[in-house]
Amino acid sequence: MVFCTGCSCLCPDIRIENGRVYNACRKGSSIFNEKKRAKPTVNGKETDIETAIERAAEILSSGNVAIYGLDTIPIEAQKLAIGLAEELEAYIDDNSSFCLGDFVEMILRGEIPSTTLDDVKNNAYVIFYWGTDPYNSLSRHLSLYTYYPRGGKRQRGYEEDRFLVVADIRKSHTAKLAKKNARFIRVDDDLKLVESFIQAMEGKAPQYPDVARVLSEMKKGYSVIFGGLGLKYGLNGRYEEFTEMFRRLNEITEVYFIPSGFHSNMRGFNELLFEKTGYINRYSFKEGVSKAEFEFSRLLIEEKIDSALIIGSDPVNSLPFEVSRKLGEINTVVVDPLNSLTSMIADVVIPSALTPIGQGGTMMRSDGVRVKVEPLREEEWTDVKVLTSLKEMV
Amino acid sequence: MPITPMEVYKLLPKTNCRKCGETTCMSFAFKLINREKTLEECTPLFEDTKYSSQLKDLQNLLEPLKEATETGLIVDEDLCSGCANCVVVCPVHASDDPYGMGSGLGPTIDDPILRIEDGVVRVVNMKKCRRYGKNRILCVACRENCPSDAIRFLEG
Repeated sequence: MVFCTGCSCLCPDIRIENGRVYNACRKGSSIFNEKKRAKPTVNGKETDIETAIERAAEILSSGNVAIYGLDTIPIEAQKLAIGLAEELEAYIDDNSSFCLGDFVEMILRGEIPSTTLDDVKNNAYVIFYWGTDPYNSLSRHLSLYTYYPRGGKRQRGYEEDRFLVVADIRKSHTAKLAKKNARFIRVDDDLKLVESFIQAMEGKAPQYPDVARVLSEMKKGYSVIFGGLGLKYGLNGRYEEFTEMFRRLNEITEVYFIPSGFHSNMRGFNELLFEKTGYINRYSFKEGVSKAEFEFSRLLIEEKIDSALIIGSDPVNSLPFEVSRKLGEINTVVVDPLNSLTSMIADVVIPSALTPIGQGGTMMRSDGVRVKVEPLREEEWTDVKVLTSLKEMV
Repeated sequence: MPITPMEVYKLLPKTNCRKCGETTCMSFAFKLINREKTLEECTPLFEDTKYSSQLKDLQNLLEPLKEATETGLIVDEDLCSGCANCVVVCPVHASDDPYGMGSGLGPTIDDPILRIEDGVVRVVNMKKCRRYGKNRILCVACRENCPSDAIRFLEG
């Protein structure tokens, strides 16, 4: 049994036998495919890993540096990366600045109540997916943790013991599952849906009529709202009413929030940086504050950095072309186990071990539970070793 | 697309000649879809040349029967994302393996009906399915919870 680190579900029951991957979803099984392993290169020429690290240390020792990525490596390596950023007085950022970082921050500050996925499996009655399509982004979320499994107080299966609500702008794959004992709410404005809940609690007719039924089901007990990127960009920073909705819902019943849909260890990085600095992302160790303009994509556009250390991420693939184009103009060091579009344009590529295969470590699930990932075999150049030697040389 | 007995019946000779051993062509159509009978047992269809175009259409229509499993289940691996909804909802899995598949985890028994292999669903042991054999129940739990239509049944 190994943990899968394909997404923030961190499925604990993956088996690998005779080269076949059992129980992992399509996304998860693809990370066990090792055909695209990266090789150490400097300026496109293959070299040995020590030379690559030396050259990387030279690049990072001068000018303004940003450290970016970090969402797929274990917490131990993230700690070293944060230490390196502190030493270099660098900017540090991860995908959470445009992903679900805002919700993680609200949970860490205690503004909205959160729970664990094991509790959801054992207790939850209303499962509410808001602006997310877990069938595609976190394939096993529904079957392993939330809607389908039987456990604890919910032994009679999904048809009787769970109530599924999906709020989305279109009829997504997950929304197609909302059939019996379920509701699909087509939302064009997320703030209106938040207002609808407040209206329903005040006894007024809500703007979205389905909310009245959902609220009456929520009053039956333990409910969980899973928010995705659709909710984040729908609310667009207007979180006051959203937290107000949670406060008032929790006066009459039990409602929790778990962000759903991000990289395997994004929350781990957010919590580490929060413990150290009080902010969860886009932090500058030079100025000691976190600002919106320290977001990695804005640093690139505004040309504030001379070099970037990208660890376990592929910004050329995930950021807009206008932004990632700038990566080609600055010095880029990539630490990644696999070949990616970013490693093709990088000045230095340092290959590291793939998390569940060549290296273990602590990872954090989307609900903030730490799991200890055991490696399948030990590889020499783990993320921890690469970052330690990089730190020594810098 | 599911195959209905009526579609098959329309292409049969409709003479109720009983050469296949069934009383009517309609009941022969039902048994064709359930794979209790084969098309070859309808001898007039092959002997009489006036049925030759009908025979061709029937053979095309019944082509999917060959790829389907004994219970009429067809899995389209290209559409599957490996979400394991079908594995967890299956009532047989829940009763045989309550702490494994019934609780959302991977199978702990050796012969589950369905299993996720390399990211897609595979049929392992059809004999356990409630749709198998003579006293079958037309359960559709796995198909109902597959949002991408990767699982379908012959009769719809």
